[in-house]
Amino acid sequence: MTETTTTEPWLDSNQKPYIQIESVTKKFGDFTAIDNLSLDIYKNEFFSLLGPSGCGKTTLLRMLAGFERFTEGRVLVDGEDISEIPPHLRPINMMFQSYALFPHMTVEKNIAFGLKQDKLPDNIINQRVEEMLELVELTDFAKRKPGQLSGGQSQRVALARSLAKQPKLLLLDEPLGALDKRLREQTQFELMDIQEKLEVTFVIVTHDQEEAMTVSSRIGVMDSGKLIQVATPTQIYEAPINREVADFIGDVNIFKGIYKGQDETGTQLLSEDSKSIIYATQKVDVPVGNRIWFALRPEKLEITRKLPEVDFNILKGKIEDIGYGGSFSTYHVKLENGRQLTAIRANRERTAEHHLTWGDEVYLHWAPHSAVVLLS
Amino acid sequence: MSIKEIQIPAFLKRTFNGRNVAISIPYLWLLLLFLFPFVIVLKISLAQPVIAMPPYTPLFSWGDSLWPKIQAGLDSYLFLFSDSLYIKAYLSSIKIATISTVLTLIIGYAIAYSIARAPTRWRGILLMLVILPFWTSFLIRVYAWIGILKTEGLLNLALMTLGVIEKPLIIMNTDLAVYIGIVYSYLPFMILPLYANLEKMDMNLLEAAADLGCRPFKTFWTVTIPLSLPGILAGCFLVFIPVIGEFVIPDLLGGTKTLMIGKVLWGEFFYNRDWPVASAVAIIMLLLLIVPIILYQKSQEKAIS
Repeated sequence: MTETTTTEPWLDSNQKPYIQIESVTKKFGDFTAIDNLSLDIYKNEFFSLLGPSGCGKTTLLRMLAGFERFTEGRVLVDGEDISEIPPHLRPINMMFQSYALFPHMTVEKNIAFGLKQDKLPDNIINQRVEEMLELVELTDFAKRKPGQLSGGQSQRVALARSLAKQPKLLLLDEPLGALDKRLREQTQFELMDIQEKLEVTFVIVTHDQEEAMTVSSRIGVMDSGKLIQVATPTQIYEAPINREVADFIGDVNIFKGIYKGQDETGTQLLSEDSKSIIYATQKVDVPVGNRIWFALRPEKLEITRKLPEVDFNILKGKIEDIGYGGSFSTYHVKLENGRQLTAIRANRERTAEHHLTWGDEVYLHWAPHSAVVLLS
Repeated sequence: MSIKEIQIPAFLKRTFNGRNVAISIPYLWLLLLFLFPFVIVLKISLAQPVIAMPPYTPLFSWGDSLWPKIQAGLDSYLFLFSDSLYIKAYLSSIKIATISTVLTLIIGYAIAYSIARAPTRWRGILLMLVILPFWTSFLIRVYAWIGILKTEGLLNLALMTLGVIEKPLIIMNTDLAVYIGIVYSYLPFMILPLYANLEKMDMNLLEAAADLGCRPFKTFWTVTIPLSLPGILAGCFLVFIPVIGEFVIPDLLGGTKTLMIGKVLWGEFFYNRDWPVASAVAIIMLLLLIVPIILYQKSQEKAIS
C-alpha cells in the first residue's frame, strides 16, 4: 500500500469502503428526509456531513445509529448489512448533541455503562474506564455527577462514553455545538488527535463549515436529503461543483453571465455586472451562449487604489464598508452598477501605509486561475 | 402651613412590609385552621368522657382556689394500647395503605408512562380523562362501585352472561372491594406526579442507553425508573398519606372485618360518643403520618435542589 492510498482511500478503486450506504431513502409521511442517498466511507476516515438545518444530515446519522429505520435501501458496515439490526446490537456508538449523560450516574458509571452491557469482567471494565478518563483528562472527576461538570467536561465525558466500547464507527451529532468558540477550536484538534490515536472511523454532523473544514478527511455537503458534493475540504472550498456549495462553504462572489468561448487567457464570460468580458482559466464544455457563473473567494480578489498593470479582470468600485478582523480586513466594494463584492486582505503591515478607507475608489483584480467556473 | 408627616416607627416599617404580610397569610391560615383545631383535639384527648354537653371534662376547673385545677390524663392513650383493637386497626390501615399504594403505583406508572409517550396532541386529552372523574363527587363514585361490585351488580351480571362464571363473585364488603375502591379513587394522585416526571424525561437518554448496548427492558430499569424516582416518591406519598386515614371507602365497600383506623375513629366519635378516645386515635394517627410526611418533604426538597 502506498502513501497516497492510505491518506486518500476514496481515490483507490482497490480499497473497500468500510461503511456503504446504498440508495437509502427515508420518508416521514409525505416528507422525504433522505432522498435515494448513496455514500461510501472508508476506514479511519473523519467524515463530515455538512448542511443547513433540516437538510437531513441528523436523520442520516440517526439511521446509522439505528434510531430511525429507513424506508428503502441498506447500510453495510465492514461488509455486514446492519439495516435490520436494532440499535443496541449495532457495533456503532453515538455521541449526542445534548451529550445525553445519565444524570443519576457518576462520570465513571456513565463511561462504564456500555461496557457493563457487554457483561465484561469488572477488572477489564475498570481498566477501560481509567484509560478513557485519561484520554479525555478527567481522571480527577471520576466520582462527579454530570450536574457538577462544566460544558466542556460534559462534552469530554460524552466522548469517552461513546468511545469506551471501541466502536467500529463513531457518530458525532454536532459534538462541539454547545461549546464557546475558543473551546470549540481547541476541542477540534483534540478530536482529531483522539481519532488518529484510536483509529476509529468518525462520522460527524455539523452545520459549522469551519469545523468541518478543520477536522474532516472528507466533507459531504447535504441539502434537501441529497448529497450535493462529497470531497476533501480543499476541493469543496476551491472547486465547489455548483453555486449552492460555493455559497454554503465560506464567502463567495458569484459572477453571472454568458459563455463567450475560450481564448489564450481562458474561459470568457460576458459579465452582467461589468458588461465586459472576464476570464477564468478552467475550461468548460458547454455551447457558446450558455449561462455560466464564476465563483471567486474574497481573499482571491486583489484590492488596490492604483490601476493594475493588466488588461483583463479589472472591476472598478467604491469601498462601502470595512470590517476589521485583526489579521485581515473585509472590504465591501460597490461596483458602478450597484452590485456589491467582498474582498479580504491580510493586514501585513501594522500601520497601514496605503491605507484603504471608506469611499475610496478602488480596483478589484483577480488571476484567471483563482476563479471557479460553475455550470449550475 | 404644611402637613406634618406622620412618623412611622422604623421597627413597625420593618415588620409590616409587603413581603412579611404576604408570607403571613398562609401562616395565619395554618394557625387558624390547622394548629388551633389540632390543639383542641389534643386537649379533648387528655380529658375524660362524661355524659354532658360537650361530652368530656373541661381542662381547667375552678374550685374554691384562686388557681384553676388542671384536669388532664393520658387515660385515653393508655386505653388505646390496652385494647388490641386499636393497634390492629393501625397496623391494618398501614397494611391496606401500603398494598394499595403499591397497586396504584404499578397501574399508575403504566398509565402515566403511556400518556407521556403518546403523541403530543393526544396527551392533553388523555390527561383530561384522568382528571375527569373529579368532576363527579367522590362519594357518588364510591357508591357507583357498589352497583358494579355487589352480588347482583354489573360485574357479576356481565361475567355470568358471558359464561365466565356460574356463581356470582363475592367482592362487595371484602378487603378486595376496598382495594378496588382505593386504587380507583387515588389513581390520579399517582398518575399526575409520575406523568409530570416522565413527560420531561430526555428521550436522548433512552437512545443513549440503547446505543451503548442496553436492551429496552433493561433500559427501563436502569434509566427510566431511577430517573422517575422523584415522581414515584411523590405519587406514593400522595396516595399513602390520605389512604391511612381513609374512612368512606372502607365504610361503604368494606365488610365488618375490614379494619381501618378511620372507621374506628368514626365509631368512637359517633357510636360510642367517647370523644377523648376518638381524639387520642386521631392524635396517634397524626403522629404515625408525620413520618411519611417528613420523608415526603425531604424527597421534595431533594427534587428541587
